Amino acid sequence: MLVKMVMELEDVPGQLLKGLEPIARYGGNIKSIMHQRERKTPLGRLPVMLIFEVRDQATLKRILAALKEAGIRVTQLGEREGEILTTVLLVGHIVHTDIRHTIDQLNAIKGVTVSELNLAVGSMGRESSARMTIAANDRELAQLAISRLQTIAEKKGLLLVTSVEAI
Amino acid sequence: MRIIIIGFGNLGRGICRAFVEKADFLKRAHGLVPRVVAVADEFGAAVDEKGLDLPRLLKIAEGSGTVVGYPGGKRGKLALDLIDEVSADVVFELTPTNIRTGEPGLSHIKRAMQAGKHVITSNKGPLVVAFKELDALAKKQGVEFRYSASVGGAVPVIGLAKKLLSGNEISEIRGVLNGTTNYILTRMSAEGLPQEIIIREAQELGLAEKDPTLDIDGIDTACKVTILANSVLGINAKLSDVKVVGIRRITPEATRLAHEAGQMIKLVGIARRDRLEVGPKLVPQGHPLAVGGTLNAVTFKLDLAGEISITGFGAGPKETSSSLLGDLIDIHRTLGG
Repeated sequence: MLVKMVMELEDVPGQLLKGLEPIARYGGNIKSIMHQRERKTPLGRLPVMLIFEVRDQATLKRILAALKEAGIRVTQLGEREGEILTTVLLVGHIVHTDIRHTIDQLNAIKGVTVSELNLAVGSMGRESSARMTIAANDRELAQLAISRLQTIAEKKGLLLVTSVEAI
Repeated sequence: MRIIIIGFGNLGRGICRAFVEKADFLKRAHGLVPRVVAVADEFGAAVDEKGLDLPRLLKIAEGSGTVVGYPGGKRGKLALDLIDEVSADVVFELTPTNIRTGEPGLSHIKRAMQAGKHVITSNKGPLVVAFKELDALAKKQGVEFRYSASVGGAVPVIGLAKKLLSGNEISEIRGVLNGTTNYILTRMSAEGLPQEIIIREAQELGLAEKDPTLDIDGIDTACKVTILANSVLGINAKLSDVKVVGIRRITPEATRLAHEAGQMIKLVGIARRDRLEVGPKLVPQGHPLAVGGTLNAVTFKLDLAGEISITGFGAGPKETSSSLLGDLIDIHRTLGG
């Protein structure tokens, strides 16, 4: 399951590591880390948003206990956030057709986030390939994201390869 | 049973070899004694109403590239005339596929049915061009029409769907139906080589045609989807109804990115009542369709049985003769043999 968490850290060296260690210890797979410097709290604490994958609810409980023990304050926890993960491939002139725009179009759907992008740039004159992971709050949103991506891909002349299980 | 074989390439020779090697088995297990009374190829024909000497015929055809050299062989003899003139029970139509006109297979099949002969074919062309017409003609003429070898090679896709699963409503058939593209994708993923190099090697190994366009661009798979839609789902579908994307644009990097995420890229054909489609798809490792090399795999979605998947070799003369022979035995049984 995918977990979205916001923790507040003191703005001193070593704090981030302290916050990540319990997640790693219990096999959590961190997908993204975002410092929210602009949201620094009056006490000078720094909110950090994390998205990570854990095996199950029990593992998450162990992580939360370990964070508490380490004195890390968790301010937000969304367990269902981006629960459905869909992996797709894109082939074509992905960068030249404005990958930022492609991602923004998907992120514009409420409840959908492009959580991972792996790009393999093709050699001179060849097309590039990318693997994209899309996190959505439910199946319908995941389907909506895929069909929007299909439309974008057609417009940009990209080949979209979806999962055989996605209908 | 008296048999005429039209087309004596790999498949024609393959079925004859099976007749020779399995003569005892066919008689013992099925009470079937196949007697090949005529064989036609593009150059002419060999005929013997008492039954051709198959080992001898195979030797001559392999040496000279034609059956004309068989004693009494008729150079320039047309298959169409042969079908009319020689009395036989079953015609095997095994000529090369032409997906635009269906010819010459289409004319051969029609002529055989009109002459009251049962037909077994591996030829996708006539099935794609005129499935409904041929199906209706067979019924009108009261003859059996079998085409198991046209989809899946040795994998009994059509037979399983139409016979053993006939208590189910089938909502979807999807499969890896082209061994050549599966071989190419498997090697791209394993070795990271560009497509052109693997295609060239596949051609040298005889796994890809000189012109691999029909395979690479997904047309061959689309033909099979069309045949499955017509024969199994009962849809009056044409090849142009299938939305087709081939594997030409798949890069070695794409296969690597898929692999890193525990997935494989497969060219998958999908036949559903509301959608006929061929395209590269991500298939998780361990999935029933995640077969490597030249293998084919098919999954049926069924109302009673749930999902059923089968896999096996989709090409090769020996493997395909399994389907051709199965069709012959099936007709033999249907007729009360």
